[in-house]
Amino acid sequence: MNSRSVHIADLVSELALKPTAIAGIFVLVALLWTFPLQHVIAYPFVFLFFGAIIGSAWFGGLVAGLIAIAMSYVTVVFFFIPPLYSISIAKDSRSFVTAFLLCGFAISIVSSSRKRAETAIRNARDELETRVHKRTAELERSNLEIAERERQLRLLTEAIPQQIWAADVQGRIEYCNHDLLEHLGKTPRELQGEAFFTVLHPEDAALFREGWDAARNSGGRFEVQVRIRGANGGYRWFLVRGVPQRSTSGEILRWYGVHIDVEDQHRSQERLLSAHEDLSRFRRTTSMAEMAASIAHQLNQPLTALVTHASACRRWLQANPPNVARATAAAESVVQETSRAAEVVGRVRSLFSKTDYVREPTDLNALVRELTGLLREDAIRRGVTIKLSLADELPNLAVDSVQVQQVILNLAINGMEAMSVVPGPKSLEIETALSGTHEVMVTVKDCGPGIAEAVCDRIFEPFFTTKPQGTGMGLAICRSIIEEHGGQIWAELGSKGAVIHFVLKAGL
Amino acid sequence: MNKPRQQLEETIYIVDDDAAICAGLCDLLESAGLKTQHFSSAEGFLESWEPEMIGCLVLDVRLPGMSGMQLQSKLLESNIALPVIIMTAHGDVPMVKKALKSGAVEFLIKPFQDSELLQAVHQAFALDRARRQSDLVVNAIQSRADALTERERQVMEFVTAGLTNKEIAERLFLSVVTVKLHRGQVMRKMQADSLADLVKMAEKLKEPPTSGTLQH
Repeated sequence: MNSRSVHIADLVSELALKPTAIAGIFVLVALLWTFPLQHVIAYPFVFLFFGAIIGSAWFGGLVAGLIAIAMSYVTVVFFFIPPLYSISIAKDSRSFVTAFLLCGFAISIVSSSRKRAETAIRNARDELETRVHKRTAELERSNLEIAERERQLRLLTEAIPQQIWAADVQGRIEYCNHDLLEHLGKTPRELQGEAFFTVLHPEDAALFREGWDAARNSGGRFEVQVRIRGANGGYRWFLVRGVPQRSTSGEILRWYGVHIDVEDQHRSQERLLSAHEDLSRFRRTTSMAEMAASIAHQLNQPLTALVTHASACRRWLQANPPNVARATAAAESVVQETSRAAEVVGRVRSLFSKTDYVREPTDLNALVRELTGLLREDAIRRGVTIKLSLADELPNLAVDSVQVQQVILNLAINGMEAMSVVPGPKSLEIETALSGTHEVMVTVKDCGPGIAEAVCDRIFEPFFTTKPQGTGMGLAICRSIIEEHGGQIWAELGSKGAVIHFVLKAGL
Repeated sequence: MNKPRQQLEETIYIVDDDAAICAGLCDLLESAGLKTQHFSSAEGFLESWEPEMIGCLVLDVRLPGMSGMQLQSKLLESNIALPVIIMTAHGDVPMVKKALKSGAVEFLIKPFQDSELLQAVHQAFALDRARRQSDLVVNAIQSRADALTERERQVMEFVTAGLTNKEIAERLFLSVVTVKLHRGQVMRKMQADSLADLVKMAEKLKEPPTSGTLQH
């Protein structure tokens, strides 16, 4: 109830008291000024009272304007319209008073509406301003939030024990996290542009560039394993993975990348490979030994039986009297066992001789290139660089490509194994050249300790080996393959390292 | 043990999975007037084994199933003293060493001369005979020992351990005279000429029999 009465009181003061007071003050001021001025100009009240009405309507609104008109009318009629000091109006003044009233109404309405419009504009402006303030504050807050989130994200990328980078569309490094910079021992500035390639192992740089260019062109993921040099100067294997960030319209904005240390994996893989190699070598040697034992056993059995039967035969004949029947049976057994032994020998022979060679036109250069691919892993592991020097044009040879490849592979692996004991840069050269008009010569050179002159003639003999784990069969098989193809293989005493040549005749 | 054995004829038992070799060996040994029997596996030989088998065993190393070396160890474990001749096509030094350590008479590398085999067989036969001879002596001593009374056996034990009559009397709560009487009986029953003779007999009795039985 109380608030309602306050509300009504406010309404009364707003609609009656305030306009009345404003109108009263303006009209009083106009009246006081009119008295002195009426002696100077004619009808001064017209302007002053109009001014009072305008002022009242301006400051007090339409109600105050109307009250001011009423007050002005009474005052003007009482004080200035004849008959003076009376509220009656002379007949000839009536039109004037009517005009005064009408004008008063008009200006009151205009003034109050102008005032209202202005107030409305001001209010609108004020409101706009507060809104702008509010929006600005909100923006600032969200900006702060974004900055905070970015800071947290940055903290996160710094905290992850992984090496992270971001690059622009061109591949220029924009950001590297702490881990990456620390590992590389560089500042972000030092990694910009092409400088990044300087931390890669020289052998891997091409591979990296290839993968990176391909990914940038296709816009796909990028993944490559390379060796990266750390701050301590040592190389470690890393899996480098890059993903593009795309805009909503699909174009690439930037690249994010991560470097994952896979050195341990690589090492264990290498160990596995080396163990595998040892195993296969062991298997080769044991299978050779087993085969030899098996052949010996298979031959010894019939030989033993043969010798015993033969001895028995002699004894039966030497007996007194000679037992011819038993001697004949024993001799019969001797014959049987002899053919059994011959059979074993025949089986062994057929096991080792392969007569059904496949001969087809083969490009030796292509064969060598294919082989280099096969050897790549092995060569990297052993730190050997393979150099090819291939003749421009070679005639196709009618050879068994698998066997010839086996020969070159064998020579190459021999060379790489020989270089394992030599310090310094290791390179293996494989050459092809036209020799005469109908022959192609292939040369495999290493820079290992070379072949001693004393054994130079014997290295192609079966079971001759200088390696502790060797079977002595590798070069013997090489020679048998080359000779089977009507070619020749020989070793040359090079100035440094072993040089093995073989020639094959061009097919007709 | 005291019952006389029904001894079989001296035979060469051949174990080799190669039928041709078995046939050849049999032929050769028969030409030398010897009796042979052959088996294609170690298991086959063990199944036919009887303590009465005498002679020797000619054994191939590489056999299907139980190997020749394993058979030799098995015989050794079971106290079967049948002399063994080992033959193989690929003998290495450790194998020969092991075989000879385990008491093989000879180690023959195939192919071998007839004389080598025959010499080895004769050597083995001689060994087997000596073994049987010693077995016979032991058996005789054993049968004499079996005839002793419980008290006489006790006295013999103490005497051969080197105790004096007085000490034995004290141990057995007997008079020295009684001990002397028992001692005289022991010497007579055992057919011992002297104390040294009796001690030797006691030693022999402690040896295990040389043709043991197989635990299948």
